[in-house]
Amino acid sequence: MIDFLANLDRRWIFLLMLLSVAIPILTGVSFEEVPSKQAKDVFQEIENLKPGDKVLMAWDFGPETEGELGPMATAFCRQVCEKKAKLYFIAIVPLGPRMIDRTIENIIRADFPDLVYGEDYVNLGYKSGNEGVIKVIVTDLRGLYTTDARGTNIDQITMCKDVENLQQMDLIVSVSGSYPGTKEWVQYAVSPYPDKIKMVGGCTGVQAPLLYPYIPGQLKGLLGAIKGAAEYEKLVVDEYIGDSPHPKYLEGKRRMGPQLIAHLLMIGLIILGNVVFFCQRAREGQQA
Amino acid sequence: MKRTIPLLITGIGGFVLILAFFIPYTESWGEVAAVWFDVMAAIAFLLGGGNLMKVHLKKISDRAAGWAYSLIVLLAFLLTLWTGLFKTGSKPADNQEYYGESFASLSVADLPDSMLAEIEGSLPEKVDAELPPSVRRQLSVENGKLRFRGWMTDDHVSDLKSYHETLEWQCKVETLAAAAKPPEVLSGKVSYHSDHQVLSFHGYMSDAEHTALVALGKSAAWSQAVKILFDASRVETRIKSEEIPKGYQLPESVKNVQVSNGELVIQGPMSAALRDQVAAGQATVPFVRPMTKEQRAAFRREIESKGQPLTGEQAVALETTFNTVWTSVQLRLALVTAGQPSEVPKTACEMLIEQQAGVQDIKPKRIVGTAVGINDAQGAVLAKFSTDPSVSIDQAVEQLRAAGEFNDAQEKGLKKFLDRVPNQIDFDKSVATALNGAGPLAEEQKEFLLGDYRKRFLWRRDVGRLFVASHVPKYEWSGDYAEQGTGFWFAYEYAMKPLTATMFAMLAFYVASAAFRAFRAKNIEASLLLGTAFIILLGRTQAGVILTAWFPDAIGGLRIDSLTVYIMSVFNTAGNRAIMIGIALGIASTSLKVLLGMDRSYLGND
Repeated sequence: MIDFLANLDRRWIFLLMLLSVAIPILTGVSFEEVPSKQAKDVFQEIENLKPGDKVLMAWDFGPETEGELGPMATAFCRQVCEKKAKLYFIAIVPLGPRMIDRTIENIIRADFPDLVYGEDYVNLGYKSGNEGVIKVIVTDLRGLYTTDARGTNIDQITMCKDVENLQQMDLIVSVSGSYPGTKEWVQYAVSPYPDKIKMVGGCTGVQAPLLYPYIPGQLKGLLGAIKGAAEYEKLVVDEYIGDSPHPKYLEGKRRMGPQLIAHLLMIGLIILGNVVFFCQRAREGQQA
Repeated sequence: MKRTIPLLITGIGGFVLILAFFIPYTESWGEVAAVWFDVMAAIAFLLGGGNLMKVHLKKISDRAAGWAYSLIVLLAFLLTLWTGLFKTGSKPADNQEYYGESFASLSVADLPDSMLAEIEGSLPEKVDAELPPSVRRQLSVENGKLRFRGWMTDDHVSDLKSYHETLEWQCKVETLAAAAKPPEVLSGKVSYHSDHQVLSFHGYMSDAEHTALVALGKSAAWSQAVKILFDASRVETRIKSEEIPKGYQLPESVKNVQVSNGELVIQGPMSAALRDQVAAGQATVPFVRPMTKEQRAAFRREIESKGQPLTGEQAVALETTFNTVWTSVQLRLALVTAGQPSEVPKTACEMLIEQQAGVQDIKPKRIVGTAVGINDAQGAVLAKFSTDPSVSIDQAVEQLRAAGEFNDAQEKGLKKFLDRVPNQIDFDKSVATALNGAGPLAEEQKEFLLGDYRKRFLWRRDVGRLFVASHVPKYEWSGDYAEQGTGFWFAYEYAMKPLTATMFAMLAFYVASAAFRAFRAKNIEASLLLGTAFIILLGRTQAGVILTAWFPDAIGGLRIDSLTVYIMSVFNTAGNRAIMIGIALGIASTSLKVLLGMDRSYLGND
């Protein structure tokens, strides 16, 4: 048995992982989330916004991390819209604009049809240059953004007329999947102007440990991966939607089901691997 | 030299950015350096693209190992480049197309002198801002006169008024706008788009309009532009058309659209407003009035005579639909609202006169008219009108005027109200929907209720087709390269998105396999790592909460979710901060070596 496990074909592990993810998805297993302090901090920071405040929505992720970051982007947009703040969407990764379009289509146009493009929200689109873009727009937005994503002159967009730079933003909401992302926004926007710019973020599980050191100084709160999204989502749903939310506002919770089973499988595999390891070592000791 | 220039660029750029960070005065230098960085990054993209082609073409040419992958990379690269640059499948942007207009290129300088309006005055003093972009090409000041070449639009007026918000200036703008207008016969038909440098004509050009336009100028450029517009405005477009719906008539005001021999014909382009006007036609189909009990019963009998009797649920649905029709009380309320005095904005010149007369509290609006209500006699007229189909709208207005005070605004309000209520075709369709939802309908019943609606739908579709067919795209490439249906969109939606998502998702499988094979408690350090991993893995799911929820509060800190937070915020943060500080110091020293030219390894070996 030990020899069988020691030489276990990896395809069995792949099959187990497939089942552990597929079964919860197909059966819809999910659990109630208890919001952590981080999620509450993020929620509260957005709650502090007043109607008309300017919020930069930095959507720096693509379809590869949409599974992890999409639900929190949805919940962020919902809460900011509920606060009647002005949304300035921006992306410094090439696939970010598609994610912005998706958020605008699924949340703003679907649930806030009275919001007017150019007056309540604007899509400034993607600019290449990574952190170089942040470095410029933090002091001179118009230096790089002469038009929005549709090609409309920024001077003709009502909500952009009085915006000279990022320091005028009341909050930055960064959702990022990799480089450049939340870390760069912290380093090039928040760090030079800690008294003027506030920021909350959401990131993948891989990035989260690297961003914890910025809390609570440069980052007022951080949502780590789908767990953070599910907790924050619960806060938004409880506060603004109530008992029968549209499924799109429960995606974080739904995706926690597969994560639970997959994590349990990982723990089981690690334990099993160590049992095999110790048995083999004991056998080698006896033979010696 | 080959190395000196890059070294200088690096050194100067780096030191400028350092200065810009620490010295506020030099902040703008940093912005300039960063913008230059973007420009160079764009050039680097080109070089990168070229290099990618070179490397992979060589690999394919040499038939090196994995050449087929190189071929896929190259094809994908070229395909993306092609679809992105040439916007394959992208439709022209609606906001750039100016539907219903014909364009002829004409520079501002070629506009005839008859289109030059001038008034005494100059630009406001002490205004640092530049003139608004929309008027910059057309507004000038010469010899103490404000001159505008072309015709001023509402946007021009609004932008210029915002330029300096004093009544004196805004009154001058209004005066200039009154002078910069086309002749009466061309009012609303011509415009000049200075940002596009085009003369525009709206719709079909009549002979009188052509004569008036020709008379405005004598230059060759003007004559040529007018000729182009005249020709474009008379281009004939024909499409096959379905049967004209019952009671439909083309609006009398529409002269350039005809229906003949199963064809729909238009001369010139069609605007969205004209499309809607033609689609709606003259209102000959009667609007629905609230029905009496007898009228409802008769309508039900008529439906049943076309097929089977209505079921109980259908009868309820029919009654509910009857009850959605407007009532005389709603009409009365609408007329009372329409009879209220309205507020009209004052012009800047009116307010300036008030200011000069010493008025302290100048109101931006004035009230027009007095409140006129609906008396009981008029209420009785409305009640009769709402149920008696023999009373026409004009007769009702006459009777309302005879019964009491009834002003023009109320007459407009009456017509507006009736324009919005469903006509017989819409009502029949609502009935069909309601009945069909409550039970089955016979084919003949459906035909009775939906026949006219279907004909109207087909007619409107034909008018929509004519609208598209008669339009000549102004800017073919103005659409978004990534909009739905473009080649780029397909590449993203059906290649990029699933491929990147799959790559990321596969991580879970490899991590699981690696965890089984390599995550062993071989020594104390590895055991600590293993224990931490257990806690974090459990803590990031509901399992951690459930397993240790029973711990008493006294040892609540040992619950797995609490331990997870503790590990992440203390051990992880401390470790990461130490690493980050170390990296930062390393970056600082390495950067200094690069900026000072001591480390030139980034320049390569050539």
